[in-house]
Amino acid sequence: MLRAAKINEDFGSNMISDTNEFNTGIIIENLSVQFPDKNGGEHVEALRNINLEIKPGEFVSLVGPSGCGKTTLLRTIADLQQPTSGTISIGGLTPREVRLQQKFGIVFQNPVLYEWRTVRRNVCMPMEIMGIPKKERTKRVTQMLELVGLYNFGKKHPHELSGGMQQRVGIARALALRPKILLMDEPFSALDEFTKEKLHLDLQNIWSKTKKTIIFVTHSIQEAVFLSDKVVVLSPHPGRVSAVVEINLPRPRGLNIKDTMEFNSLVSKVRNSFEGV
Amino acid sequence: MNGIKRFLTSRQMVTLVWVIGLIIVWEIGAAAVEQTKRTPEYVLPRIYQIVDSVFSQKLVNGSQTATEIVLSNASVTLVRAGIGFLIGSVIGFVLALLMNMFLPIEKIAFPYLMIIQMIPILGMAPIILAITKDIDKSRIVIAAILTFYPVATNTLAGFKAVEKEKHELMYSIAAKKKDVYMKLLIPSCMPYFFTGLKLSAPMAITASILVDTLQGGGGLGCMLSQSLKHAMSIYVFWQIVFFSAIVGILSFYLMSLVEKLVSPYKKVGG
Repeated sequence: MLRAAKINEDFGSNMISDTNEFNTGIIIENLSVQFPDKNGGEHVEALRNINLEIKPGEFVSLVGPSGCGKTTLLRTIADLQQPTSGTISIGGLTPREVRLQQKFGIVFQNPVLYEWRTVRRNVCMPMEIMGIPKKERTKRVTQMLELVGLYNFGKKHPHELSGGMQQRVGIARALALRPKILLMDEPFSALDEFTKEKLHLDLQNIWSKTKKTIIFVTHSIQEAVFLSDKVVVLSPHPGRVSAVVEINLPRPRGLNIKDTMEFNSLVSKVRNSFEGV
Repeated sequence: MNGIKRFLTSRQMVTLVWVIGLIIVWEIGAAAVEQTKRTPEYVLPRIYQIVDSVFSQKLVNGSQTATEIVLSNASVTLVRAGIGFLIGSVIGFVLALLMNMFLPIEKIAFPYLMIIQMIPILGMAPIILAITKDIDKSRIVIAAILTFYPVATNTLAGFKAVEKEKHELMYSIAAKKKDVYMKLLIPSCMPYFFTGLKLSAPMAITASILVDTLQGGGGLGCMLSQSLKHAMSIYVFWQIVFFSAIVGILSFYLMSLVEKLVSPYKKVGG
């Protein structure tokens, strides 16, 4: 009864009630990740002694040059990579427990769409696996495609869409699960500047409607500052946190915020936080 | 002008040039043979002679025309080849599935597959016949053996070609093994599976024809050797050669057609 009632609630309020049930704050303590060397030599230290706290509903970006371990950190949170030492606690649970409870939504650098499925059926796929009833699936697919502006493309196959549209399908697919935590690994890096700016606004809009915890990996300082509540600056060799910059710009943020003094001084602050690059 | 240009570079044009080229080379050869041999139709007859024999009403073995002999014997061979092909496809697919699920099975089974594949059919056929003691069963078994290897290896390659990120997406939503296979691996291996089918369909037919030659109990292969040895009609031989080649090619296109109907993939642009 309770379940049925929950499903029938409208999109927005359901999201908010969901976040209230589960504390999506993430606490990372003394996290280190090492990769065994390919030639059997010394281990490669990807992350050393990371300490980080992410509040529920916060939009956090991980920035840094290649090799700083930002993707590794995201993957460790997602349980796609095992830590060598240290702990990650997500609302008191381990990443593995959160993954098994299907509370993660992941957007990869590539759209990772199934070529043989239409756009609608791609968005639908994870929900099929989670055993969500068909009627509810159809409803959510429609909602999500409307949200990312692809409602009219539901019957197309991925190869008929542009790169930006494919990436939006990937985002819709991740959101359709109503994940408690959205993990995004350089989702816009392959897109042109115009598409990217549009998706920045869309993502901000989605986030403010759903109040999810979002962890966003990027190598663009501007992108990180524009989107985030908090920018975590990582430095390479070994990957470590060199600074955490709070972004207190008012929301909703328009594109013209990029021309303001405050924005640019925050960009400089992030840029100056890198060590040893 | 544009239409002509498009036609000249089209696939039909390529096929046309191919067929015309083959006919020209054949006819030059036949003309040369005609000058030197007493019975040139045993080496290389003119194409019109073969075509003529297809429509000829002359009885060549007392009761049947050449075409009737070919068609009646074709069904014996082709039906068995078809059954063997189906069995081989299923075994090949299941084997690929098992090899992908359990690494030890792959490690153990693969060398055997290679060995089976390396034994020439000519050597394997009499052994199979000795075991099954039945020419019909032998045709089926040989066709199945030749089919399952390309199907198994191609399908396995298809499973292994699935990108890591697609697996990670499944992992991140805690998908069960069954779902990973049903929703990811099996649909994505379809183009590979059909490549295996397209490779093995003509091979299954050739193998069945070869098995026919082992016994005098009918079938295309049997007629092939008899028409050479006995004074039946040499055109039965030539008809079978052409018929087999055409059926082999058609079996390939039949698989392409089945793929279009069955496979969830939509070709780019199609």
